[in-house]
Amino acid sequence: MKAGLNQYRITILAGIVLLVLLLAIMVTGLLGQLRDLSIAEDDNMQWGISQIDVEFANLNATISKRLSDNSLADSEIRLRLDIAISRLSILNSGRAATLFAGSDAIQKLVAPIEIFSERAIEISDKPGPITDVDLLRLRALTEEVRPNVRKIALLGVELNALRSEARRAEFSRQLTRTGGIAIVLLALMAVLMLLLDRMLRRAARRDAELLTSSQLLKSTVAASLDAIVTANDKGQIVEFNAAAEDVFGWKRDEIIGKTMEETFIPHRMRDAHHSGMARYLETGKPRVVDGGRVELAALRKSGEEFPIELNITSVKDDDGTKFIAYLRDISVRKINDQKLIDARDRAERTDKAKSQFLTVMSHEMRTPLNGILGVLDLLKTTKLTAKQSRYADIATASSEILLEHISEALDITRIEAGTFQLTPQDFDLPVLVHSIADVLEPLAREKQLGLGVQIDEIMRRSFHGDSSRIRQIMTNLIGNAIKFTDEGKIGIKVSGIHGPADSSLKFAVADTGAGIEAEHLEQIFEDFVALAHSEGRQSRGDGLGLSISRKIARQMGGDVSVVSEVGKGSTFTLTVPLQRQEHDPQESATNAINPVGLTEEAREILLVEDNNINRKVLRDMLYAMGHRVTEAVNGVDCLEQAEAKRFDLIFMDISMPEMDGIEATRNLRAGDGPNVATNVIGLTAHGQEEFREQAERAGMNSFHTKPIRLTVLRGIISGFGGALHSPLPTEALQELCAALGPDRVQDTGTSFFGELNAFIAEARSGGMPAGVSELAEAAHKIKGAAALLGLQNLEAKLAELELLARNDDVPDLAERIEEVERISQISQTDFATVVQSFRL
Amino acid sequence: MIEKIHSRTLVAFMLLLTFSVTPAFAQDGMKLQVAKNSSNSEPIELSIEALDLLEQKKFSTKTIWTDGITTFSGVPLKVLLNHFDANGETVEMVALNDYAVTMPFADLEDDAPIVATRMNGELMSVRDKGPFWVVYPYDLDARYQNETVYSRSIWQLNRLKVMD
Repeated sequence: MKAGLNQYRITILAGIVLLVLLLAIMVTGLLGQLRDLSIAEDDNMQWGISQIDVEFANLNATISKRLSDNSLADSEIRLRLDIAISRLSILNSGRAATLFAGSDAIQKLVAPIEIFSERAIEISDKPGPITDVDLLRLRALTEEVRPNVRKIALLGVELNALRSEARRAEFSRQLTRTGGIAIVLLALMAVLMLLLDRMLRRAARRDAELLTSSQLLKSTVAASLDAIVTANDKGQIVEFNAAAEDVFGWKRDEIIGKTMEETFIPHRMRDAHHSGMARYLETGKPRVVDGGRVELAALRKSGEEFPIELNITSVKDDDGTKFIAYLRDISVRKINDQKLIDARDRAERTDKAKSQFLTVMSHEMRTPLNGILGVLDLLKTTKLTAKQSRYADIATASSEILLEHISEALDITRIEAGTFQLTPQDFDLPVLVHSIADVLEPLAREKQLGLGVQIDEIMRRSFHGDSSRIRQIMTNLIGNAIKFTDEGKIGIKVSGIHGPADSSLKFAVADTGAGIEAEHLEQIFEDFVALAHSEGRQSRGDGLGLSISRKIARQMGGDVSVVSEVGKGSTFTLTVPLQRQEHDPQESATNAINPVGLTEEAREILLVEDNNINRKVLRDMLYAMGHRVTEAVNGVDCLEQAEAKRFDLIFMDISMPEMDGIEATRNLRAGDGPNVATNVIGLTAHGQEEFREQAERAGMNSFHTKPIRLTVLRGIISGFGGALHSPLPTEALQELCAALGPDRVQDTGTSFFGELNAFIAEARSGGMPAGVSELAEAAHKIKGAAALLGLQNLEAKLAELELLARNDDVPDLAERIEEVERISQISQTDFATVVQSFRL
Repeated sequence: MIEKIHSRTLVAFMLLLTFSVTPAFAQDGMKLQVAKNSSNSEPIELSIEALDLLEQKKFSTKTIWTDGITTFSGVPLKVLLNHFDANGETVEMVALNDYAVTMPFADLEDDAPIVATRMNGELMSVRDKGPFWVVYPYDLDARYQNETVYSRSIWQLNRLKVMD
């Protein structure tokens, strides 16, 4: 726009320069012409030349007259002659000479005349009167040159005509040139006029546009919801719209001309504003200006400060820089923000408190439950009447349900807190489903409900996933189905699709119960919701079960859904994606739990537990299993005890005062005491996941959640059997006992240990000093017997001895014999224990 | 008639000077006749000497009839006419060959034209456009370079006749 205008201006200026130039050329040309016209170059030259002929004619006439009547005086003749001769001078000088200079013809004509002139003057100037002879001669001379004179006159006319023609041509050329220039000038002027007209029109249009846009802008500013304040570079307010009046409380008329500083900028910001503005005007580098939205504070006319959102732009015009500030009073928003933040904080606090409460409660409830269940287990090992036994069973079952609820509450907390973890493992799907059904089948049978399992053929395989969670969910779904169905059957159907990588499994549990109304279908998945039956009886949902099931399923990437028809029954479906497992995990499933009934070896066990009841229950359980138990009340106590004696196993509570289980284990592992490598079993009343990682890092061998039931305890102890201080390889001996019977084995053992003791006694007394080979033979013989009885430690020691003896190199015979004797004693005890256990 | 008078005077004059001047300058004794309109009296005859007594003017200029710069001197025509109280509308100037041109009084300037009596300091003979030549200082101004001025630049001036 501006460039276009400049282009126009340049064009016009160039046009004007051209105009002036052309005008100058024209004026110069015109002036030249004017001068040429005003100066007559040859005037009456032609006339002058033609006059020569006349004068010669006159002379001739004068002479003839004198000759005829002698009436004229000599002076008259002379005068005429002089006049005629004087005329000749114009041929030789002045403009005429110039005119004739280029013409040879003239020069030829002039030459005889010059001669005439000389001769005529000769006659005329001769002293004395002019005689008739003179006259006759003069006349002859005159007549002789007259044709020449005539020709000169004519030539003069001709030349003059040529010259005039040339001048006319020149004049015409000049006129043409001038005329041309004039036309060009006029054309140029017309073009310039057109340009000017165009500019004028453009300017007018732009003016109109500007007017429109400024009016538009004005109305926009006035109608703006944001306060718009315009200030000049001195900080004086030059514009203040209606919204600004509302925001600041100043009227436009009273604030215009005042500076921003003295009106609405808070006192504490005035210095910063001042220096900021000075800096911007000096350097042009903006900080707040043109820097987008910023939040600042401003003053109302009444003096109170309030928060604003501000956006400043700057505009440069002829009067300098103008700052346009768009402001918004954000005090209400700020207040609302604050309210929202408070509400959120409150909600977060409440939520946290809830989680905290649940966690603490579940822990606090688990601890006494631990006691109850432990004691009930113990109670059941004593001699009870049938009635007592039934009461104990009921108490146990109730405690188990309570424990389950607590676990569920803890699960919810974990899921909500995001600490819920899955522990995937390989499992066989049919085995899993059938085992779940087997557990629940008695419940169904109690209510005379059928329980059918149907597994798609393609789903009969192994998968990798958290089978225990699937078990939990399925148990809940089937348990509910049984609970809320009065007659009919429960159907379990497993189907699915094998995807490219994973398989999507569908476990459907269909019942023939009362069904659920459509509007309650989603409600039953909410926390703590149990639907009231129309008769006031609790119907579906048992607090947390379904909610947890769905949450867990979703954690696994699946879901629990339900379709139901009132009066016909409901179908709950668990869908879950699982990885396919190629190898068969059947084997690992078999060695899960030690066969109950095998008498445990007596272990040295350290029990670390701060809770008295729990400690006593656990101690009694271990006692009942025939182990020796040392007690410690916390980590510090544990370390002291561990210093004094080597243990086979340490049960370590995690949470204890003074020093917790984690730290105690860490210290144990870091030290060099006798129990540096002893197996440590962690126990916690919290969920497993919270401490699993810490426990493993500290060096615990396994980790269990309280309460620990008797069967689990057995499993734990036997699970660490291989690593225990057990020189007795029970398998070989057990096979032997099974094959021969304990009595026969006992006899063999008795004779074996008798021989061994004799060998030891002989070796010690030095009965075989000379014959080392004898020693070797004896060792070899006993070694064989030991191998037969499966006494591997003893066998190994004797083999060593034999080897040394054969090489004739037994420097420390006494010590080696001592070692053999020690192992022999341990083996004897172990042997007795195993054989004894077979007798029972 | 005038021609006759002129001829007679000339003859007498010539006779007077026959023995005193060279024949070439026989006509140099010619006088300039000034005829005033108002009176019917005889025209005044002025000799070179008489003219020399009047205010003189001298200038150098080129002319279209001569080569190079020429210096002329003589009496301004206005001075001459004023001297003889010869006033009127126009003045007719007549040459020896009866060439005549009329000039309004209004065109008379103080200094131009002059009735030159000398060219380059010399008296002028009839053969040399003399003895009286009305000249302008042509080079002085472009206004002296037009046909009117050239036509008024009359050679061999013989008579001046003032007319109403």
